[in-house]
Amino acid sequence: MSAPETAPRPLPPALAGLRGGLRTIWTHRKARIGLIVLGLFVVLAVLAPWIAPYDPKDNSFGRSLAGSAQHWLGTTAAGEDVLSQLIHGARISLLVGFGAGGISTIISVVIGLCWGYVRGLPGEVINFVVNLFLVIPGLPLMIVVATYLSDGGISVIIAVIAITGWAWGARVLRSQTASLRGRDFVEAARFSGERAPRIIFREILPNMTSLIAGGFFGAATAAILAEAGLEYLGLGDSTIVSWGTMLYWAQNSNALLTGQWALLFAPGLCIALLATSLTLINFGIDGISNPRLREGSTGR
Amino acid sequence: MTGTETTTGPRDTPGGEAPLLSVRDLSVVYEPVGATPTRAVKDVSFDVGRGEFLGLVGESGSGKSTLGFAITALARPPARIEGGRILFGDVDIASMDHEQLRTQRQGGFAMVLQAGMNTLNPVRTIRQHFGDIFAAHRHVAPARREARAAELVRRVSLGPEVLDRYPFELSGGMRQRVTIALALSLEPQLMVFDEPTTALDVLVQHAVMDTIRALQAEEGFTAILISHDLGVVLESAHRVLVMREGRIVEDAPSADILHRPQHEYTRMLLSHFADPRAEHVSLPGIEAPEPAADGPDGPDAPAADGPDGPDAPAADGPDAPAADAAAADAPAADGPGRRRPGAGLELRVEGVTKSFAPPRRRAAGVLAVDDVSFTLAPGGATALVGQSGSGKSTLAKMITGVEKPTAGTIHLGSTSIGPLRGRALRELRRTVQMVFQDPYSALNPLSTVEYTLTRALANLTDLRGPALRRRMLELLETVGLTPVEQYAAKLPHQLSGGQRQRVVIARALAADPQVIIADEPVSMLDVSLRAGVLALLRDLRERTGMSLLYITHDLLSARLITDDILVLHEGRVVEQGPTAQVMRHPRDEYTIRLLEAIPDPARVHGA
Repeated sequence: MSAPETAPRPLPPALAGLRGGLRTIWTHRKARIGLIVLGLFVVLAVLAPWIAPYDPKDNSFGRSLAGSAQHWLGTTAAGEDVLSQLIHGARISLLVGFGAGGISTIISVVIGLCWGYVRGLPGEVINFVVNLFLVIPGLPLMIVVATYLSDGGISVIIAVIAITGWAWGARVLRSQTASLRGRDFVEAARFSGERAPRIIFREILPNMTSLIAGGFFGAATAAILAEAGLEYLGLGDSTIVSWGTMLYWAQNSNALLTGQWALLFAPGLCIALLATSLTLINFGIDGISNPRLREGSTGR
Repeated sequence: MTGTETTTGPRDTPGGEAPLLSVRDLSVVYEPVGATPTRAVKDVSFDVGRGEFLGLVGESGSGKSTLGFAITALARPPARIEGGRILFGDVDIASMDHEQLRTQRQGGFAMVLQAGMNTLNPVRTIRQHFGDIFAAHRHVAPARREARAAELVRRVSLGPEVLDRYPFELSGGMRQRVTIALALSLEPQLMVFDEPTTALDVLVQHAVMDTIRALQAEEGFTAILISHDLGVVLESAHRVLVMREGRIVEDAPSADILHRPQHEYTRMLLSHFADPRAEHVSLPGIEAPEPAADGPDGPDAPAADGPDGPDAPAADGPDAPAADAAAADAPAADGPGRRRPGAGLELRVEGVTKSFAPPRRRAAGVLAVDDVSFTLAPGGATALVGQSGSGKSTLAKMITGVEKPTAGTIHLGSTSIGPLRGRALRELRRTVQMVFQDPYSALNPLSTVEYTLTRALANLTDLRGPALRRRMLELLETVGLTPVEQYAAKLPHQLSGGQRQRVVIARALAADPQVIIADEPVSMLDVSLRAGVLALLRDLRERTGMSLLYITHDLLSARLITDDILVLHEGRVVEQGPTAQVMRHPRDEYTIRLLEAIPDPARVHGA
């Protein structure tokens, strides 16, 4: 028996779902603004060497200059161009945001799903470990670890943020897994002879894509803020150019007292904008996971 | 849609006065954001006279609930009343604002919802619920409120002690009665019941419907009963509206609907309705096995044969071919095909007991299954009947090795199922398979039919590559989903409930199992799709020689596809024997109650 019509095979459902998801996010007004802002930052980061007017570490300019045609945002106390630093700083923030956000999401997915699926003693053990990470205050832990591993560069920052940031996501995913686990199709997969790992990652996981995506953007936002915080406290590598180190040096050189508001204001605004864009995207993702949250779908 | 327009004129209402509710050219549209709008109710017109009991029947998606919500002004976005008028007395409901609506709830119209028992506030007692209503509307003097609340709960056949209870201390049926009493407390002129008993157990359903009928007769309020169950509606209502795809296709007194249905759709619905106690039972495309010569015919009503019009049109859509095939295949003279030679293993359940640990310390443990024994012969079909909580699903879980019995043994051939774990348990899946109750949750929404079936085949058989795919397509053909290539590529949401259940059945068949356990396989399906799935199950059993354990609370379907029956009550087997014989001459009091709970319009409207 041959196929009656050989229509082009439709997209695999996972891909079709992704495309539908992207379309839903795009139709959401706030999320679209978020995507555009994020896109601008990504373009800035990727093209930084070509867009930035000077090398960010070139300190051959006058010190603490006010804004001018040569230096739109002025120069730092060390004589570097602020605009160039700002543009290059986007690279670090995005790298840390997506790197640490991604790693902590992967950890929370693996741990959260297994935790939600298993019963009995293994579940209790995971529960204990996750609770341990939840009760330890995040920022002090971050500071301790970052101080301990200081001068490891940006990868240490990423690792620290990822290690301290996955536990909440794991909890959320665990409860969703536990509820999906009770659905008949999971039981049916067991009846089809599927083994646990495949049930967890092939049957259950795709049904919470939007939750995971939401968790990822949330974790990325937290990571960007945490990175800026650590750098601002001088706990990172203060020789790299990032928005956090810009704030750190601006504070050190009393930029506000010298009237160089742009030195504090510009990196602060960029951090806020980037974090806002990710949060806006998350509104759109909420619309996928819970259609009731789609704008205008209810009259109340 | 013949006859629709002719039935919309003003009707004679009891007493000849103006109708209480008058709906004219009502259209309701759903406008979700980013999706195409759907018109759920299309130009519907009807009148309801004062004191009338009106039934509204339709299958899922017919727009009956949407209509119910619209006439009680509970329609919420994305639903919108697109056009038409709903006159209650001489006020147009559609134009009322929130405050007007709120005040008119007293002495106006009230609604009892499908999941009404879940609408009670869990942290407030029933007395406080009544108090809230009296305080909001002030129609009962404070001194009289206590007495009035007690009287209202008495009206719905509850004792005054429930007033001190919290909702979670009451059973589902009691809570539904409380919501009815709460609705009554406003002395409404019109009560709309939206599937008031669907979420309840069979016996409770019957009792709650009795209460509703008695109340309506005593209090004389006007009632609209919305239900998918034609039997319930015909038994209760004076007049019935049949709805299909947003339109009213028939509007006639109940007796006329029962005996002289005009529209073909009404006839189709009626044809899927039969009395399992009758001597011959048949639905379109499927006929019950003839009862063995079991002595004298009991004193059963021959009238019950009335509704099964044998020449009624069969279910349309892709369910039809299989139904026809089954009808053609069924060897009528040959008996039900039991004890087929060469069939596989016998399932033996001996003295099985299952108790669950108490939820709290010092609470009593739950004895879900209590000393049950039976044998399922190779190729046989046994029904396991009982209301929820009777232990039938727990029994199924133990047979499939999901739960371990506390005492007793279960054998399949020479294998004991109880101690199986891990690999051995996976081996068991080749011989014992399960058809799940809810086809909407039994398929992974993100997997194509092909993937679902392929995985089962890859895990449970040695087939690989092209042979596997061939077998996958063969399975689809077996369950009547043709053209197979097209169905293979579909996702669950592109299929109807009946088609999904066929996929679920195909998956269960992947490894050519010897025993299939079907847990309420048709309870979530529309009536018109049930017969097709039942016929498929029966046909498969006859062709493959597998045995079938059919778990249900629906006696009609049990009668149609099984040979033997076990009636379970509180974990114990209270009656067991050949299905036809048990239904026609039940001996146990519980079986008799179950049978009597089946709505029987003929009892009300004569033959």
